[in-house]
Amino acid sequence: MEHNKVQGTPLPHLYLISSGQENPDNGTLLLEQLNLLPRTMCCMVQIREKQLNAKQLLTLALKARGCHLPEGSRLLLNERIDIALAARLDGVHLPESGCYPDKLRPFAPNMIFGCSVHSPESLNIAAESGADYLLFGPVFDTPSKRKYGAPQGLEKLGLICRSTTLPVFALGGITPENGALCMAEGAYGIAGLSIFQDTSRFVDTLEQFYRIVSP
Amino acid sequence: MIPSSPFLCVITDEALCPVAVAEQALKGGAAMIQLRHKRASGSQLFAWAVEIRNQCQKYQALFIINDRVDIAMASKADGVHLGQQDLPALVARKLLGKECIIGISASSLEEALRAEKDGANYIGFGHIYPTLSKEKGFPPLGTEALLNAAAFISLPIIAIGGVSLENASSLISCGATGVAVISAVSRTDDPARAASELVAALKRKKS
Repeated sequence: MEHNKVQGTPLPHLYLISSGQENPDNGTLLLEQLNLLPRTMCCMVQIREKQLNAKQLLTLALKARGCHLPEGSRLLLNERIDIALAARLDGVHLPESGCYPDKLRPFAPNMIFGCSVHSPESLNIAAESGADYLLFGPVFDTPSKRKYGAPQGLEKLGLICRSTTLPVFALGGITPENGALCMAEGAYGIAGLSIFQDTSRFVDTLEQFYRIVSP
Repeated sequence: MIPSSPFLCVITDEALCPVAVAEQALKGGAAMIQLRHKRASGSQLFAWAVEIRNQCQKYQALFIINDRVDIAMASKADGVHLGQQDLPALVARKLLGKECIIGISASSLEEALRAEKDGANYIGFGHIYPTLSKEKGFPPLGTEALLNAAAFISLPIIAIGGVSLENASSLISCGATGVAVISAVSRTDDPARAASELVAALKRKKS
């Protein structure tokens, strides 16, 4: 497959997703997290704040872009390529129900396009439309995803990882304790949301994860 | 581009299939369709947009997408319609280029003047009359505000909010170039006929 068009250094193996709780007027948690990132730990960072309108998202994206991220980090926005372009982010992450990468790539040839996948079928769609990486989950039980039913489990993660050459990030209930199991199933990296929200333990948690994902 | 004689813009209804609404509106003579759906997924919006764009081409009508500049780019819509909470006009212009139509919602002269200064191609001005189509945080502006805006604004103004067969022509008399409706077309027994009656009313000189 020839659609891995990711520019520059390889994608980081650790993936941070914003809390989804940013207030329209500040965006403090995300900015605090970004400013806490140790210089040596590059990260994928996805701004995912569906409660904000486009104007507020642009403001937040610009603030985040203004943070000095560790070298090799990639800053992405959930879904909205228009806002990502305006804020000069590195890419977009498309939900499974989002517009397909091949419809958007012509407008942003240098951007990273990630796709959420929850099944082998959606993996095929994402891969065929030129995704640069995949986000698969929830692997383990996580409060924010309970309403969608049982977690997918390690076995399905392994199946997904083995059926594609694209980097797969495992998401959902991942901790420093079970993270290694995801890597053993072939995940390229691990992604987290809730676990990174306690800023007092943020750097500690990152360091633990970093040891797990570092090749 | 934007018609210079009185025209009808039909905005799709969130409770109904946008493609069906657009088809009927176009049959009735609408010159502009705006796809507006705040809750639909990106892939759904894109699929609708491609269908409605094709319909609009067939009828030589303009196709505008509300808020989602990304979907407008991907589906090659004629333009976007942006509210005050959406991407700023200047940002959208830079992304979409000079040829693309950018409409801006304004509910005051001040907002309309800002939109004009920022390079909008038309102003959606309202709501003029009471309307149930959208939750409004302020009272209707009335035709006086429309007259006032039309005195200062050189861009085409599309009046919106509570537009009906009875009041459509007076909105044109007060300086609107076009009118926009949702339910006055979509929530009727025969949307195509409702649209064509509105189009006819717009062309009638107010006695």
